[in-house]
Amino acid sequence: MATLVSSGLSVGSSGAGIQSSKLFDGYRAHGTAWDELFTRTADPHAHCAALVERLGRFQAGEFQHRRTSADLAFVNQGITFSVYSDRRGIEKIFPFDLIPRPIPAKEWYALETGLVQRIKAINLFLDDVYHDQRILNENVIPKALVLGSKGFRKEMIGFVPPGGQYVHICGTDLIRDAAGQFLVLEDNGRTPSGVSYVLENRAVMKKVFPQLFQDIRVRRVEDYPFKLREALASVAPDGAGSPPCIVLLSPGPYNSAYFEHSFLARHMGIELVLGPDLFVHDDTVYLKTTRGPQKVDVIYRRLDDDFLDPETFRPDSLLGVPGLFRAYRAGNVTLANAVGTGVADDKAVYPYVEDMIRFYLSEEPILKNVPTYICDRPKDRAYVLEHLGELVVKAVNESGGYGMLMGPSSTKAQQNEFRDKVKADPRNYIAQPVVTLSTCPTWTEEGLAPRHVDFRPYIVSGKNVWVLPGGLTRTALVKGSLVVNSSQGGGSKDTWVMENGK
Amino acid sequence: MISRVAEHCYWMARYLERAENTARVLEVNHTLLLDFHVPMDQQWRPLLIISGIHDFKPEATDEIVQGYMTWDADNPFSIISSLSWARENARIIREVISAEMWERMNYYHLWMNSSNARGLYEGNRSEFYAQVRRINQLLHGICDATVSHGEAWEFFRLGTYLERATQTARIMDVKYHTLLPTVDDVGTPVDNAHWVAILMSCSGYEPFHKKPRLMPIDPGMAVAEFLIFDREFPRSIRRSLGEVHTASAAIAAGSPNEVDRLIDHLTAWLDGKAIQDVVGFGLHESLTYVVNTVAEIGNAVHKVYFDAPVVPPKQLPSESTQTQKQTQN
Repeated sequence: MATLVSSGLSVGSSGAGIQSSKLFDGYRAHGTAWDELFTRTADPHAHCAALVERLGRFQAGEFQHRRTSADLAFVNQGITFSVYSDRRGIEKIFPFDLIPRPIPAKEWYALETGLVQRIKAINLFLDDVYHDQRILNENVIPKALVLGSKGFRKEMIGFVPPGGQYVHICGTDLIRDAAGQFLVLEDNGRTPSGVSYVLENRAVMKKVFPQLFQDIRVRRVEDYPFKLREALASVAPDGAGSPPCIVLLSPGPYNSAYFEHSFLARHMGIELVLGPDLFVHDDTVYLKTTRGPQKVDVIYRRLDDDFLDPETFRPDSLLGVPGLFRAYRAGNVTLANAVGTGVADDKAVYPYVEDMIRFYLSEEPILKNVPTYICDRPKDRAYVLEHLGELVVKAVNESGGYGMLMGPSSTKAQQNEFRDKVKADPRNYIAQPVVTLSTCPTWTEEGLAPRHVDFRPYIVSGKNVWVLPGGLTRTALVKGSLVVNSSQGGGSKDTWVMENGK
Repeated sequence: MISRVAEHCYWMARYLERAENTARVLEVNHTLLLDFHVPMDQQWRPLLIISGIHDFKPEATDEIVQGYMTWDADNPFSIISSLSWARENARIIREVISAEMWERMNYYHLWMNSSNARGLYEGNRSEFYAQVRRINQLLHGICDATVSHGEAWEFFRLGTYLERATQTARIMDVKYHTLLPTVDDVGTPVDNAHWVAILMSCSGYEPFHKKPRLMPIDPGMAVAEFLIFDREFPRSIRRSLGEVHTASAAIAAGSPNEVDRLIDHLTAWLDGKAIQDVVGFGLHESLTYVVNTVAEIGNAVHKVYFDAPVVPPKQLPSESTQTQKQTQN
């Protein structure tokens, strides 16, 4: 049984001066970072003018009031994630900031095109890696780096997943540098999460500021569950039912993302299942129902490869389904994402995505990567070890902001710890220069202040590729912090992809 | 539907119903105490016994028992435990129940854990228990009006009425465990007041009095008859069993099983008796039989629907057309 921490609910006791001042009065943008709402001359960007004008009518006190009601909506709907530090889990709300982050239509078009290009290349790469390995044989990417990746699954060699699709759902993390250019930080091609917050944030925004959406045309995000279901149905295996039986496989109610799993199942109109709800007979997957077994065609799994099938992967997994991989290889069930996509998600392989685009598509990459040093390369390693104080060092298979060193804010002891780690296992580390992430006005105890943000759009691929017009804008809440992960105390914002001409 | 999901629906309903009934019996006992001077322990210990708590060490005073049965998170029968478990079951299947139902359930879970609930409990005990009763009533209303009346809903009903049947039997059994001040008090205003209290804890006071009676009957026996046999009163054992039968038959969908057989057995057992037979057999003994048989029905529900052994489909589909048919079925 969980207790709820509703720390975000109390209205701060800001002075009367702040209460009655207009919202954007006294907002001072960050000195160097790109501001998502304002130009260097403190005017709103053209696509933000209407938003700044409308929101600017609010007094800070009234804004805070709406903020409280937004938080309350999240609490009452139980839109929470669990932190299990003891027997009783603590449910926390993912802090939500009411100032949206707009993206103009034209810029979105470029992003969308770039993301589609990227996902196409990644899919071709995965197919290649598990078949002919052309890209390795032609030395575009070092063979040892790929075959030695923890995400590489030899069990997938020679197998074509149903529909030929590997990464059905991709969440690509982007940041915007001080010049305002979007750069790719990483591609999450295993089981990316967060999309439920995109939809819930929008729902809450519409409740709290209905007028804004009447005045300003913002593209809908609500079609995501339908589009995902459609994509999954399009890659159902031969012999699937009509319509195919699609289920969402969750690790269970104690998983921190369980809210998202049930949210998606509810909105997609599919069953949420746990491993023990399924069994495999004769290489076919069945669901245990009150009226006997029912054949399953597509599994949207929110479980890592390791836990999927104790017969093939980790034998101690109680979350998976014995025999599932056999059924998969027999072509009787679709897994989304496919097994083995982690090899493209590996932070040491990511730097080669631009090369993949050139190699497979003979095109120039539309989206650029953040420059990355691969510690496995002796030259890069030497540079990284020399400049630990200036770089961000990351373990290649970690996510959620764990296992990383933020050079400029690190202590000597932390740098020494990472020096030892990098020397002991260079393959496991990459490093990137610190990019000054763009900022967006965000509500703080001192009123609106710039906080760093990143952006995660979602790309859904079945027979066709579709990019959700929106995404998760994560925001650091601590002044100066560049870490936006929710597990590290970050919050989120509604992302507005503007309709054409607005 | 998925067996595990059915199980969560069923238990969500049972816990909600249990919370409501615990509130009912605590409220009535609390009120009763205002009229009669029964020794404290005699008045409150029976409430523990009917929940199966026989080894309660502390003195059973009003405040201690009410606190234990309302707030103690380590007591699986307390209201706060029941509501937490109802909400936890709901959380696991929130994609199955309606968003409105989930939000209200979550809202009251948060309320129970807030200082508002504590304040109401301290300041206005009757209103607190009335509020707890309303939680289940409200959720039933939302459930009926917003959740499709399919299999999940039937499991919700099955859980509700099975729990209600056993709870009504348990509440009546309080009478057995509450010793009257003296044997001479049987049939006196004290005894009658106890029966009225039990009637009231089941919201049966008015329906009972509206019921035309052909012959004068001992008031205690009349109340027992009403709460066991009445075909129309929604909290009587017989009526609850009828609802259990309907839900179970809908779930079994034309192929009755062990669950239906047990329900039919208990129904027939009741239908073959008049209140005089029940009293002759012993009211406590009869109610115990009801409670035990309901427990057996519960076990059968688990065996048949939730823990059914995994059997591969009888006819393995050999062609894709057959697969389609099977999926649609």
